[in-house]
Amino acid sequence: MARESFDKEIQFLRMLALTSGAYSRQQYAEKLGISVHTFDKMMKRLREIASSSLNGRDGAAEQRDMAELLRFSYLDSSDPLLLFLFRAKSLKESESERLSILLGAMKEGAKTAMELLDACSEAMPPELALPDEKTIRGDLKYLEGVGVITREPGPRPYRYALWDRFAGLLAEDELLDVHDYACMMANTQLPSVQGYLLRDMMSKLLTRDRGFDAESLDVFRYKYHYYSRILDEAHLFPLFEAIEGRCYVSFRYFSPKKETSYSSRNTNPLFEREAGGNRERVLPLKIVYDHQYGRWYLLGWGARHGIKKYRLEGVTDLSVGDAADADSWNEKLGLLEQRIRHSWLVDTGRKTLVRARFYKPGPSIPDFVRERVLQQGQWGVITEEDEISFLYEIEVNGIIEIKPWLRSFGSSCEVLEPARLREEMIAEWKELREYYESL
Amino acid sequence: MNPFEKIFNYQLLSRLQDGGAAMVTSHERSWLKSMLAHPAAEEAFLPETLDKLRDMLREEPVVDWTPHLLHKAASKEKMVYHPHIRTIRRAIHACSALRIAYSVKSGGSNAHENAIPFKLEYSMVKREWYLLWYDSRKSMLMNTRLSKLAEVSEKPCDPERFARCTAQAKAYLVSRRAEAVIAVVPAYNEELSRILYAFSCFEREVSFDEERDEYRIKLYFSLNEQEYVLSKARFLGKRIRIVENDRLIARMKQTVSWALQRYGVDEGATE
Repeated sequence: MARESFDKEIQFLRMLALTSGAYSRQQYAEKLGISVHTFDKMMKRLREIASSSLNGRDGAAEQRDMAELLRFSYLDSSDPLLLFLFRAKSLKESESERLSILLGAMKEGAKTAMELLDACSEAMPPELALPDEKTIRGDLKYLEGVGVITREPGPRPYRYALWDRFAGLLAEDELLDVHDYACMMANTQLPSVQGYLLRDMMSKLLTRDRGFDAESLDVFRYKYHYYSRILDEAHLFPLFEAIEGRCYVSFRYFSPKKETSYSSRNTNPLFEREAGGNRERVLPLKIVYDHQYGRWYLLGWGARHGIKKYRLEGVTDLSVGDAADADSWNEKLGLLEQRIRHSWLVDTGRKTLVRARFYKPGPSIPDFVRERVLQQGQWGVITEEDEISFLYEIEVNGIIEIKPWLRSFGSSCEVLEPARLREEMIAEWKELREYYESL
Repeated sequence: MNPFEKIFNYQLLSRLQDGGAAMVTSHERSWLKSMLAHPAAEEAFLPETLDKLRDMLREEPVVDWTPHLLHKAASKEKMVYHPHIRTIRRAIHACSALRIAYSVKSGGSNAHENAIPFKLEYSMVKREWYLLWYDSRKSMLMNTRLSKLAEVSEKPCDPERFARCTAQAKAYLVSRRAEAVIAVVPAYNEELSRILYAFSCFEREVSFDEERDEYRIKLYFSLNEQEYVLSKARFLGKRIRIVENDRLIARMKQTVSWALQRYGVDEGATE
């Protein structure tokens, strides 16, 4: 059976998250390259998942427009709403019922497959088909594979138990520490999806079994988060595994610069992906997370173009292929590392020395300019300094990527070199002057 | 690790919630195991808890992604955890007040006997933790870096007072809300995705005027975040214009004029 792909949901949610309400249904459908009917169907399904994942925290969720829901997810919660993407794997009703009965039975103590079959036969609602032994054994194999249950040591018939060491071995105070740590690490480190899932589970343990109320758990807030970053984590682990195994990957690439990010025949309610996008075969070498915009890149090597950069959001229909030999892989990695050593983000252009003078805010005001340059200036160094200003120098590939950062300091930064960058800065400030003069 | 496992399915999850079983998959456990390698773990857990966790997770496989993942243009990480967090988060849970002493920007220090803790806030830009606490004498929500807190201790608080101050803190935040409208210059619509990403760290609404082919982004933020909004506007430069919010517009005019003066171009500039 083909693996269920979530490419369309990812594109869909990204579009909603980024543009939050800019377009009508028709316009969204057009941009996504799908029919309005498909758009409505997806909206309905996602709304259903979202309201169920929110656990009644937001009772009005179902009535609300999805885009509005995404907008409101900002305020007081450190819970990324987009996480529900990872809860979207489809499951037949009979299967979800069966798995929950099995897990519930194992919560009471270790059981054999036959005991579990009995438990299932007793508890399954009459309208759903009763499982046979083979099905139960298949379920147990799956659950053991994802680590939710363990097979106890001992002779046949084997006994299976729920992996519940957190609840069983940790005191309440310790569970709270695990919850908090998962929350902080998921929000401040990468990758984060598994951390958010763990945090959700710990929060359930604490609220359901230990009497915590949800509000008192939710004491952390995270400011200036690029929360749509978690959508791209969908491809992250397959890519890490491919890099680890030095394997080629193949995917259909839709450049985010194009008008429609997803291509399909509009009349077909299914997503027909054959049209549009280029099929790429690449040896993945590094993943880059750009903190300036909250975007992910895949850097790899392809036979036709050599080193190539892809935005992870344009990668769909990913599959892992053959391995490359170690020597050639190492050679390509070495080449890439050398080319991106001086990339502000991912530019592999010519190395340039940028020199800029930064001006301090004035006597007796805390020097936030210097603090920010030291914190964000990457490998650049401060070479000269007096009471009024300091000189910052950095060698970077090209000037395009560092320019917005320098400009963000406003009049506290004066670019000295290269002359072209200085001229461009002056030209941009002049253009901005024209804009604002008219207001 | 496939993040789309059926075990994470939302229907299954809600059934389990009703049935009382809680499950943690090996995905989450390996993630936690990797994260325990971060130095923050030593501060976030008591030593015996950390030992227990490491022991429980001993057999979990670990995907070591660190050599494959590069962070670019990140602010240097000052802290992920701060030792005061344990005390403060428990105080909020227990509805307790705090006795705090902290140093202030201008030098010197302050103390407060009856601070009502509201939230702990992490800034992804500054990469550090802040305590948001309510000062009932000033009727203000205060913002103090944990790194500036010299002393913190919990003290009992009347539950009614705690609830009242928490409500006032929320109302204070609402009263400090600000809005601005940013227009994307249509010539740069091709860069829309980049521009939208840059603003995706704010609460916002986007609208599109088909006739003028113009996108407008309405940002919602707190008054004390104005400087950050401005730095984002300067970051994007000529691609965008602030079209609503007089204060921000005035600041942009001033920045433009001062920046041109820096470069020795002041003809036509307004002071």
